Amino acid sequence: MAVTSGPDQAVAATSSPTRLSRFWSWITGIVPSMVAHRGDYLYILPALAVMMVVIAYPVYFTINLSFHNTGRALDFDNKVWTGLDNYRLLLTGDYSREFRKVTINTLNWTIWSTLGAFLMGLGAALVVQREFIGRGLVRGILLIPWVISAVAAAYIWRWLYHSDYGLISGVLTELGLIDSNIIFLDSVDMVMPALIVANIWKEFPFAMIMLLAGLQTVPEGLHRAAMVDGASPWNRFFHVTMPHLKGVTIITVLLLTVANLNSFTTVYIMTAGGPANASQIWITDIYRIAFQRVRFDVASAYSVILFLVMMSMGYFYVKALTRGDHRRTIK
Amino acid sequence: MTIHIPRDKWSHSLNRRKLLGYGAAAGLGAAALRFDGMMAQEAVDPTTWTPEFIASQAGTLEVDTAAEMAAIVPLDYTGKVSYWYVGPSEAEPQITHDMDAAFWEAFAATYPNIEVQVTSVGYNDMLDKLRTAALGNAAPMLAKMPILWGVEFAASGQLMNFTPEDAGYSSAEFWPGAMKSVTWDGEVYGVPTNNETMALIWNAALFDEAGLDPESAPATWDDVVAYSAQIKENTGKSGYGLVARVNAGNTPFRFMPQMWAYGGGALDEAEDSPTYQTVYANNEGSIAAVQASYDMYVRDQSVPVSALTNTQAENVDPFIGGQLGMMISHPSEYAKLNDLAANAEGADAELAAQVVENTRYGLIPEGPARRAVVFGGSNIHVMNPDSVDGDIDLDAARALVAFMTGPEWSTKLAWVGSNPGNVRGFQTSWMKERIDTIPFLDVTTSMLPHGIPFPVIPESTEIMNIIIPDMLQNALTETMSVEESCNDAASKIESLLGGL
Repeated sequence: MAVTSGPDQAVAATSSPTRLSRFWSWITGIVPSMVAHRGDYLYILPALAVMMVVIAYPVYFTINLSFHNTGRALDFDNKVWTGLDNYRLLLTGDYSREFRKVTINTLNWTIWSTLGAFLMGLGAALVVQREFIGRGLVRGILLIPWVISAVAAAYIWRWLYHSDYGLISGVLTELGLIDSNIIFLDSVDMVMPALIVANIWKEFPFAMIMLLAGLQTVPEGLHRAAMVDGASPWNRFFHVTMPHLKGVTIITVLLLTVANLNSFTTVYIMTAGGPANASQIWITDIYRIAFQRVRFDVASAYSVILFLVMMSMGYFYVKALTRGDHRRTIK
Repeated sequence: MTIHIPRDKWSHSLNRRKLLGYGAAAGLGAAALRFDGMMAQEAVDPTTWTPEFIASQAGTLEVDTAAEMAAIVPLDYTGKVSYWYVGPSEAEPQITHDMDAAFWEAFAATYPNIEVQVTSVGYNDMLDKLRTAALGNAAPMLAKMPILWGVEFAASGQLMNFTPEDAGYSSAEFWPGAMKSVTWDGEVYGVPTNNETMALIWNAALFDEAGLDPESAPATWDDVVAYSAQIKENTGKSGYGLVARVNAGNTPFRFMPQMWAYGGGALDEAEDSPTYQTVYANNEGSIAAVQASYDMYVRDQSVPVSALTNTQAENVDPFIGGQLGMMISHPSEYAKLNDLAANAEGADAELAAQVVENTRYGLIPEGPARRAVVFGGSNIHVMNPDSVDGDIDLDAARALVAFMTGPEWSTKLAWVGSNPGNVRGFQTSWMKERIDTIPFLDVTTSMLPHGIPFPVIPESTEIMNIIIPDMLQNALTETMSVEESCNDAASKIESLLGGL
């Protein structure tokens, strides 16, 4: 394809700032703004200092540790610089087979938990948004999984699923629907779906609350106008409701994804990653390598990988949350 | 015989500089005292400890604990000590809780001016927490740990050299296996508190219902497989209480006896003179042991399906409910079953009482190679000052260690669950009372000569708590074949020992 240039393109090129110049103008804009608001920054200085100590330093320490060999002696003072060896061990070395398996588990756990909690939360939000007798009570009941302690919930689900004396199998047997107990947590094939169901049950109220708040912002007038125009309920949902939920949906999905990537309690208490590591996910594997296998160096490299993934999620989260803020605040 | 360390050898509080200063003197003194102790009293020979021998010496020694303590640390000593241990849990019988409470009362009465900061941590959590605390220089001054854990901390430099002689006793007063477990690189890092071996318990009524001799335990591990299958087939109930959860101490305590009996092992720990250099995890004996578990779990389906997520605690309720035929169990299990039966209501109470009545204890079965059991117990250790927040009050620590490991309290604290670490405890009237009142104590103690300690190497916890249970899970879930799972475990152990 021929490249042409003309007066219009030349004008566009000169009027469109380069990345460097955009960055420079952002700096020259923000620095005077910070100086002008230095009093405000002084107010948040204590909080920033605390965050430096409890967040920034551990992050630095972990990243530093990930490039060293600490051995089993936990002798941090005499750790040996090994460069990227710990990352190599994880990605291509002795830990790689386990790492790949655990990564697949983590993806399954995160994607299906997030999707399930979001869809169930959306359904529940649509139901409890409508006016009906007892709506407050239903809303309260639906919130129970979210407010209940994660540890207590994990133990309850563990007993519901118990392979020999579980309530679920017991009830289904009594109803004549099954002949023998369903093996949930002691089966390598069933354990992850079983955990995901328990996790969705725990998390969906959060999605419900977020989406319920979003639903309150959908203008009633638009729904009425769509009805007058003959739009079906499905069309009204997809063309009126969902576009208004876009922002809250992005934030909810991001928060659920981050929560699931970091979710330790449910998996650890119910199966501790077993059987045969079939339910091991990144966060429980990091704990296992650090505190049970006493390899803080490899666990640190593992944590840095998780940290990078989380940071990318954090970037999108902040971007979604602050959409338009720059235009509103920097003039 | 009690050996006393001169009081002025120790400081009231210890920092690193003082510790170095006292190190040489304490070392020389301890060496001399140890020699005296060994000369004065022959080391314990477990093979002579038959039930008859144990019964014959019980009640032959009168102990004045306060007088012994006064010679070790003055009773008016003022100080402070922090202490972590696996305290009595909900799963323990009431008598264990009562004895624990009585111990703290007695210590406070004997040393009214020593303040003890006691922290009880769950068995499955303590190792991880203590590792983290030691790493963050926030460990307690004293920690009582199950026998398997100490060597890792000793090898990491997180324990202080501390011998029974430092607590006023002789090393010869403790079981050789127990002393081995507190020794690393030729140095002693703690004092044994209690030692026990497990036994096989079974429900005689369920055996009878299954067509088995209700009064006879399976003689071999092959019999266990056959009995378990017969119980399942004839009664529909689980035969053997298999435990295969990862990172739960119960798993190696129940599987290693089977592995050793078939001639296997993680390393060569079951041999007469183990080197801990040769990997046995994939030898014929180990493969046969895993195959036996596979046969019960997969082929015969004669054990609880939840074995992969169960700890031993989850086997107790099915046993008392008459749903489980047999299991390897702690000496305290009978007392626990009695407690459960006493607390049951209605029809459950009647059933539980019947099960208690029908409970039998027998020796753990033997295999083609030997009869074996884990030489279990706990030791108390003084943490290295570098791992502790602040200075160590060594005199206060010595007082608590000595009080706990003396003949009186090492017997009382081990009342239903174990045996005194200090063998003088076997001579006390409290031991006689135990023998007279605790059923089956003679059976569990007669397993002592068959006790095999876990490998005394820092990697032992990972091998026993992670690699061996992983091996079992890989085979039982058919993620790998039996042979592959053993080879996988052997390769992991080799990598671990190779310094990976």
